[in-house]
Amino acid sequence: MSDYILEINSVKKSFVRNRVNIRGEGEDERFFILDGLDINIERGKITALIGGNGAGKTTLFNAISGLAKVNSGEILYRKGNKTISIVDLPSYKITRLGIGRMFQDDHIFPDLSVLDNMMLADSDTFGEFPFISILKSSESRRIEKYKIKKVKNVFISLFGKENFFWEKRNEPAKSLSFGQQRLLGLARLFMGDYKLVLLDEPTAGVNPLIINQIINIVRQMVKEKNLTVFLVEHNMEVVLKLTDYCNFMSHGKIAVFGTPEDVIGNDEVRKTYMGI
Amino acid sequence: MFLQLLVNGIAMGSIYALVSLGFSLVYNTTRIFHIAYAVLYMFAPYMILTFYRNLGIPFYIAFPIAILLTIFLSVLMELIIYRPLSRKKSSSTVVLISSIGIMIVVINLIAMFYGNETKILNPNISKSISFGNIIITHSQLFQLIISILAISTFLVFLKFSKFGIKTRAMRDDNVLCAVFGMNINKMRLVLFMLSGFFAALGGGLVAYDVGMDPYVGMPMLLNAVVALIIGGMGRFEAPIIGGFIIGILQAMAVWTFSSRWQDAVTFTLLILFLLFRPQGLIGEKERAV
Amino acid sequence: MNYIFHIVIMINIYIILCVSTNLLVGMTNLLSLGQAAFYGIGAYIAVLSLMILNLPMIPTILLVMIGTAIASLLIAYPSLRLKGDYFVLATLGFQLIFFTILYNWVSVTRGPYGIPGIPSPKLFGIISISGLIPFLILSSIFSVLIVFIFFKLVHSPFGRVLKGIRDDEIAVLSLGRNVTSFKIWAFVISSAFIGIGGFIYATYVSYIDPTSFNLDEAIFILAALLIGGTGNIKGPVVGAVFVVVLPELLRFVGFPDSVAANLRQIVYGLTLIILMRYRPQGLAGDYKLQ
Repeated sequence: MSDYILEINSVKKSFVRNRVNIRGEGEDERFFILDGLDINIERGKITALIGGNGAGKTTLFNAISGLAKVNSGEILYRKGNKTISIVDLPSYKITRLGIGRMFQDDHIFPDLSVLDNMMLADSDTFGEFPFISILKSSESRRIEKYKIKKVKNVFISLFGKENFFWEKRNEPAKSLSFGQQRLLGLARLFMGDYKLVLLDEPTAGVNPLIINQIINIVRQMVKEKNLTVFLVEHNMEVVLKLTDYCNFMSHGKIAVFGTPEDVIGNDEVRKTYMGI
Repeated sequence: MFLQLLVNGIAMGSIYALVSLGFSLVYNTTRIFHIAYAVLYMFAPYMILTFYRNLGIPFYIAFPIAILLTIFLSVLMELIIYRPLSRKKSSSTVVLISSIGIMIVVINLIAMFYGNETKILNPNISKSISFGNIIITHSQLFQLIISILAISTFLVFLKFSKFGIKTRAMRDDNVLCAVFGMNINKMRLVLFMLSGFFAALGGGLVAYDVGMDPYVGMPMLLNAVVALIIGGMGRFEAPIIGGFIIGILQAMAVWTFSSRWQDAVTFTLLILFLLFRPQGLIGEKERAV
Repeated sequence: MNYIFHIVIMINIYIILCVSTNLLVGMTNLLSLGQAAFYGIGAYIAVLSLMILNLPMIPTILLVMIGTAIASLLIAYPSLRLKGDYFVLATLGFQLIFFTILYNWVSVTRGPYGIPGIPSPKLFGIISISGLIPFLILSSIFSVLIVFIFFKLVHSPFGRVLKGIRDDEIAVLSLGRNVTSFKIWAFVISSAFIGIGGFIYATYVSYIDPTSFNLDEAIFILAALLIGGTGNIKGPVVGAVFVVVLPELLRFVGFPDSVAANLRQIVYGLTLIILMRYRPQGLAGDYKLQ
């Protein structure tokens, strides 16, 4: 029996949008962007989610992360031997349960330094209580030093001893190039205590060198940190190279599921999504 | 008694509706919190003062001149202050503070040239007519008739012209509109002109009734903002409804409590709506995507 | 010389107000138009404590901070559920309601007549702080202390989270931090210290009335903060000095008396416009409001 870390059952999400009808008037219409979605994510594997633009992939990720509410359905998260329903939990609590997220547009902190970006991603929030740094200043300083070391180690393990990120640690993150910001977003996920990470188009918009780095980083996530990875991708090469399973999403449901070769070789997928 | 209050409330409400509509024209479309709008409301009466009382020009000519000058001032604000900031993609805080800056400058210029004390436009006591035991002053009648005329004309224009659709589109997505060839800058000018028109109209009508001083803008603006919130954002009918509601409720409050607590009623309404019904009475709910 | 002492005392008060407001507006990017309300609450609680409860200085200060903190919590909790412009409008609404209540509830607050004869606070019940030099010392000690506290806060992990919220709320949420609770902290802490400013003002001027704590004052504090600059500690300090000193300097410029006040305001308004247009990070801030 497969060990599923995340079970998504019959999830539906709709919103009302205003369309112009045949009479030329605007009218409200209920549109189901998620229409009975069923997905199981196997622990320790890399699972892909593919589908056309606007198919609802990011909406699904938002629903899992707690940034969007679903209308009906269930999302179950298996932590250890406990099963937790996460549909109604606030987003920060879902993160604390061990579900990390990387967004389509990175959402790094542009005006904060590279180091601060990483420190804010640490799962240990000691010192973030308002006056602790004044009242318990020596312990607070010790923990800050420890966190900084952790950042250094993460950078070294990901990018090698002489890495660019540690050198630029005090520069504002907005001074990094687009690809570097993407890598930073991924690196942040190594600071937290995650069991499952959701990556939304991690290789979009970056050059092939960086894509390779990203692939290696994702593999490291699984190997070294025992993470389960669920990612949205448009780059089929990456899907084929990296992922163990693939879900093809269409009209708010999962239309095809299987190994990447199966799914990408599937006729329906080739016709509707890849236009072949 | 009740009917008298209702009449008073509707008369005042028509002014609130007018002024709030002018404010919402800018806010709904550009999201600029145009605090300096308060100044436009105050500016028109002083222009009337100059032309009508100081230069002896008949009122029915002085008023339109004042309106034109106010429109001019409104456009000036857009060109000199708001547009450069919008091009720089300044935050709303920066825009707000700049708006406050203009407001301070203009109020003090007026105070410098005309003085701080209350000025009267119409030295005569306003005549009135009565229906049964309800008295309506001529000023109230003017306010009601002219406001409703202006508002109706605008609503008709909105429905039957592409202007209405364009403003709604502007609110939803500025950049997309520009891509589709809509001249955003021209639209903004038109909006600021209309906005100035409504402010001037309201200001003149009230000042003719009770006079003015350099500081009348802000309290009126606050009422306009509350009217907008109560009515709801997004639709231009909303501030109109909100305006009348506030006018009537204030009239009732004066009778129930006393005129002192009138403001408290207005602001409590603001808080209640913000907390429990931020979309207002007929406003549009935020799209849930 | 007395004149200079007075200016410095006012600068100290405004440093306290601006540095505190900065935590909310500059660091967390929560624009609030209600800070003058907490300035006023602090002042009126101080009056309550000194004139009715007859408490010495330190309990008075504690009472002021706790009272202001509770009041701000009551306002923060509902307001922070609102996004963006709605939040600003809520703070505006509370500021206006506060003023209206102060002004009209004459039986309790004496409304527009104000409260004269506020006694000097008594340190440890014995040392009476009254007169220019004692207030100079008192206000300076407080302003240095508060600047120090906020400096530590800004450069702490807590400050880091606030800066993160300023940059990108969603990202902070997705990293497992309860953004709303941080916002409430910023709100309450900033208000509590603004209350202290109210205490100093009330005891120094020994007379208060609602017009010192109205919307104009809220705008003034905000403008001072933006002129000086947000995001760091230098900015608000510079801003406070600027807005207190500028009108005084203009006094020496030969404006004819009748229009002096108006011209000073015009210079002030033009400063706002020009700064926001050409230097939105203020004179000494490190964060360009975006």
